[in-house]
Amino acid sequence: MIPAEFKYLFPSSVDEAVRMLAEEGEDAKVLAGGQSLVPVLRMRLAAPTALIDLGGLTELTGVRDDGDSLLIGAMTTHYEVQRDHLVQDHALLLKLVTDTVADPQVRHRGTFGGALAHADPAGDLLAPALALDAVMVIAGPGGRREVPAAEFFVDYFTTALAPDEILVDVRVPKYTGWSAHYEKLNRVAQAWSIVAVAAAVQVRDGSIAAARVGLTNVGAGPVRAVDVESALVGQEASADVISAAALRASSGDSYKDNLARVLTGRALTAAVAG
Amino acid sequence: MKLTHSFVSPGPAEVVWEALLDPERVAPCLPGATLTSVEGRTFSGEVKVKLGPVQLLYRGTGEFVDVDPEQRRAVLKASGKDARGNGTASATVTFQVGDTVEVETDLAITGRPAQLGRGLISEVSGKLVGQFAECLAGTLGSGDPDEVAQQQHLRVVPDEPIDLIDTAGVPVLKRALPVAGAALAVVLFVVLRRRRHR
Amino acid sequence: MTATAEPEIGKARLRKEDARLITGQTRWTDNLQLTGMLHMAVLRSPVAHARITNIDVSRATAMPGVAVVFTGEDFAAEQGSLPCAWPITEDMKSPAAPALAVDRVNFAGEAVALVIADSAYHAADALAEIDVDYDELPVVLDMEEALLDNDLVHEDIGTNKCATWIFDSAEAGSGTDVEDEISAAEVVVERTFRQQRLIPAFMEPRSVVVDSTAGMFTVWSATQIPHILRWMLSAVTGISESKLRVIAPDVGGGFGGKLQVTPEELLCLLVARRMNRPVKWTETRTESMLSAHHGRDQIQKITLAARRDGTVTGLKVELLADMGAYLRLVTPGVPILGAFMFNAIYKFAAYRFVCTNVFTNKVPTDAYRGAGRPEATFAIERMMDELAVELDMDPMKLRELNWIKHEEFPFTSVAGLTYDSGNYEAATARAMELFDYEALREEQARRRADGSAVQLGIGISTYTEMCGLAPSRVLGALRYGAGGWETASIRMLPTGKVEVITGTSPHGQGHETVWSQIVADKLGVPFEDVEVLHGDTATSHKGMDSYGSRSLAVGGTALVQAADKVLAKARTLAAHMMECDEADVEFASGSFSVRGTSTARSLGDVVLAAHVAHDLPEGMEPGMDADATYDPDNFSYPHGTHLCAAEVDTETGMVKIVRYVAVDDVGTVMNPLIVDGQVHGGLAQGIAQALYEEATHDEMGTLTSATFADYLLPCAADLPSFITDRTTTPATSNPLGAKGVGEAGTIASTPAVVNSVLDAVRHLGVRDIEMPMSPERVWTALQGRGDPGAGDVAAGGLGSIDAQGGQS
Repeated sequence: MIPAEFKYLFPSSVDEAVRMLAEEGEDAKVLAGGQSLVPVLRMRLAAPTALIDLGGLTELTGVRDDGDSLLIGAMTTHYEVQRDHLVQDHALLLKLVTDTVADPQVRHRGTFGGALAHADPAGDLLAPALALDAVMVIAGPGGRREVPAAEFFVDYFTTALAPDEILVDVRVPKYTGWSAHYEKLNRVAQAWSIVAVAAAVQVRDGSIAAARVGLTNVGAGPVRAVDVESALVGQEASADVISAAALRASSGDSYKDNLARVLTGRALTAAVAG
Repeated sequence: MKLTHSFVSPGPAEVVWEALLDPERVAPCLPGATLTSVEGRTFSGEVKVKLGPVQLLYRGTGEFVDVDPEQRRAVLKASGKDARGNGTASATVTFQVGDTVEVETDLAITGRPAQLGRGLISEVSGKLVGQFAECLAGTLGSGDPDEVAQQQHLRVVPDEPIDLIDTAGVPVLKRALPVAGAALAVVLFVVLRRRRHR
Repeated sequence: MTATAEPEIGKARLRKEDARLITGQTRWTDNLQLTGMLHMAVLRSPVAHARITNIDVSRATAMPGVAVVFTGEDFAAEQGSLPCAWPITEDMKSPAAPALAVDRVNFAGEAVALVIADSAYHAADALAEIDVDYDELPVVLDMEEALLDNDLVHEDIGTNKCATWIFDSAEAGSGTDVEDEISAAEVVVERTFRQQRLIPAFMEPRSVVVDSTAGMFTVWSATQIPHILRWMLSAVTGISESKLRVIAPDVGGGFGGKLQVTPEELLCLLVARRMNRPVKWTETRTESMLSAHHGRDQIQKITLAARRDGTVTGLKVELLADMGAYLRLVTPGVPILGAFMFNAIYKFAAYRFVCTNVFTNKVPTDAYRGAGRPEATFAIERMMDELAVELDMDPMKLRELNWIKHEEFPFTSVAGLTYDSGNYEAATARAMELFDYEALREEQARRRADGSAVQLGIGISTYTEMCGLAPSRVLGALRYGAGGWETASIRMLPTGKVEVITGTSPHGQGHETVWSQIVADKLGVPFEDVEVLHGDTATSHKGMDSYGSRSLAVGGTALVQAADKVLAKARTLAAHMMECDEADVEFASGSFSVRGTSTARSLGDVVLAAHVAHDLPEGMEPGMDADATYDPDNFSYPHGTHLCAAEVDTETGMVKIVRYVAVDDVGTVMNPLIVDGQVHGGLAQGIAQALYEEATHDEMGTLTSATFADYLLPCAADLPSFITDRTTTPATSNPLGAKGVGEAGTIASTPAVVNSVLDAVRHLGVRDIEMPMSPERVWTALQGRGDPGAGDVAAGGLGSIDAQGGQS
């Protein structure tokens, strides 16, 4: 790899990282695993003056139990998320989605927070973060603030993060006992989704008590299929209900509209089946 | 690639026409743009584009080949190069101001950004024009800019199917293509700047 | 003949190369570091067609670490034109092909300037500071439009038509007139297929290092063809061939993509000569995709004439082949290699082949795994399925009706080739059995009746190919600029160890292992005692290198002949040593003995005796080395039957291969493990053409699939577990009986997959789907809509979704 020259910084605390980011200015970039940034550097489509590598911030790794929610450190790798018991028990959808991210090499390097901050609309983790009402914990010069996922993803590759801010934690409410499924259509194993659907449902006594559905790669950011969700809640967990609800994922006749409907139906069917 | 954009004039046609050619009022509506020099009918400017991890700096020149105040129609040719050798962007843009502002863009992007696909070209340039119109409406508007912006009906009408989001799964870089927007920004910018030195 | 207790030939030996290759204990070209070495970076044109009006290098030259910046003007007088060794017709148009553009660029990616700096980083930094002004010209991309000559790629040659090459069985006397057969036919099927443009995508990017110490030029290159490269570099630069040494160290794949004399190889040599310092260039992946040659890219119009009973009477092939902007080493000949294979395994009465080669403003095309033969096999195997549908016949029965029966070999085809051996019935029977053809047909019928969302299709490909390139006289008749022989040397070392030198140039195939197996068997020495030297013109001074499944059939034969020479001389010396008549000497298990006695001398003893030369027969030269050069008198003709069962998800368009059976007859197998590996890799590449890979361009001529994120390669997770087996009819054209296996999988698999997908959805009204059969293309076809076009358009359209969370 032959990138343009940059200054490499390796902070040992979040405070130091935030200070470095402020000092280096808008042409600095935060390196949080590098699975998207490094290819861009290699192709010289970006030439940041400085890279601030968060790889040394152990305070940002791991999953913690925080009462009603989980706190996932932004630098927790996909591999760690996949294998975490708290995630398995309380945010199964997140585990199932993470299982499909790229390939094992990427999952060992890439981080949960890095993927969210990168905000690639084809990225797998945006839709479940949105569907599960995750909240982003952001550190900046003025301290910390929290931004719900629904406000965090702004546009293609654009989030609510200010240039001088760093995503430090992701708060994910607990969905204990929910079942889930991620239905992803991609052409080859390491390719991004054409469309994917993340679904989590809470089934009680044969009926759907609650449902969360997020769509990957159907727009400039993740999409919450609220019409689908509302068509499910309080209904019998039956094939007919699911089919009817899935039709509300999209009404257009393009290929991706079709995929949104088909994959929503499949994701829900698999999720309900547990 | 030809792109057609259209938005409801955020004011009377003569006011919008004048405004389009008045940099003092509308230049700030183009984020990242800087004028570097103006010489007669030739103009130079820079547009800095940041989208996700991608950063491009297009340096461009442009020239009006036709300005028709009677018809409120302007044709402009502009071209730019990325400062780090990532390729060129050029465009021929025709504006027609009436009840709506019609913008026809014939856009040519070469080099690395184009090699990575054209996924966002129409999307991003559409958004750029939308933002521009919104901002313009706010600047010109007699009323609440948000209200004016609400009235705009931005649409993107490519003359051929354009790969908005590639089925290959929209590779990360594929969508990181603000270049079309950048070319358009160069063009608009030059349009806007022309008036000052006329 | 076989000497060791357990024959080496046929043994599934692990490859002796692999330990060093997979543990990084080897040396690729880019690993070389020479004292004082400079680094070259290439500025490439972002535009596909333009006049260069000005190049300003002043800022780049002033950048840190930059030694010099060169433009085309600097080398205009000495760079000549990159060679094309295959002028297929006398009147072929061959434009000048400068390695570094001087005043025009003809494809996006063409080299326009060079930065020479003290590091690769400095060189890359300075590229951005070179300012080139382009005066853009109309871009010619579409072959049919190109032939209208409205806009020209090369103004100086006045046309975009490069050449037209014709074979006609009536004219050649090998068959009847195809137009007569078409007018007399009961059934005529005409189809047009598109062979999309592919990118060879070898694993190791290209790399070149040139050292010019003391007037001797040493060129290391990641190439398949060190010998041809030396010859051509000498021809272009005028540097004496004896002052040029080319080394292909371990090379990480080629697939034909490194069968080339590249601009960068020539430019590194010119720069090293100019600077009198070592120079290195290594490309990035995107650079490779933008400038290394591409493959395929044909439009095929095919007409089959047949009787209602299924007998095919005539085949007419009308091709347009995209050359790209220039003719590289064998560019124009690639479609011609296919000319002899459209008739495939069948007995057609009449055959006519017309190929028009066309220039466009794209990267030049050239050899890519199969080179012309996959295109031919695809076309005929697709057509046999189309005819079967037309006649409502089982596609396998139709093939059987038309193919050459095993008792008819040797068989002279309507294209004029003599197929020496084969048994299509045997390979097919084995494949049908492994595939469980009848059961799958039943399953297919059930799903059709049920209206299942996931339909099942079965695809057949009964292929043959011509390998073992090539008899030199045939190459001469085809106007190819070189011969097709191969050479081998055996050096018997005084300790009894053996060095084998081969003129072939392995780049991943496992020649070191197989050549060792052959020599071990022939000479009765341990496998481990054989060392194979290759890829260095100083050790193997002649050779024709590796491509076209030729190495074993041609180079292996040379090796056998060299071993025979060693044994012949050793036998004479052994007789002298044992004081017996040569006719009484027997050789077995590495030992010479006198028939009917216990007197014996090991080969090692004999070799030592030859080496010390204390007591040799009158007139015998010391030493026990031998050379042999072999020129085949025929091609070899591997064949096989491949069967593919694919599921098509009609709701998403996704294709999943659920069973794939490949039964190949590649002649006698030296190492089944390597053969399986070749078949597996070949299948992956052929399946990839059917489903995944495509080089796409925008209307400006920019390659829009210039990374592996956009140019999709399948990995193991995307492919089924292949069921492979073999039937064997040894080749009669070489003593090993080998036919070649480098390209079989790629050639056979593409039509099998496409046929299976179409078979799954044909009852739903789908007649054809262009390659690659992406889910969107399949789904669109199922909706009864036209092809969505290259690049897979999936324009938005999701505005109806309740967009929360960031949809602005």
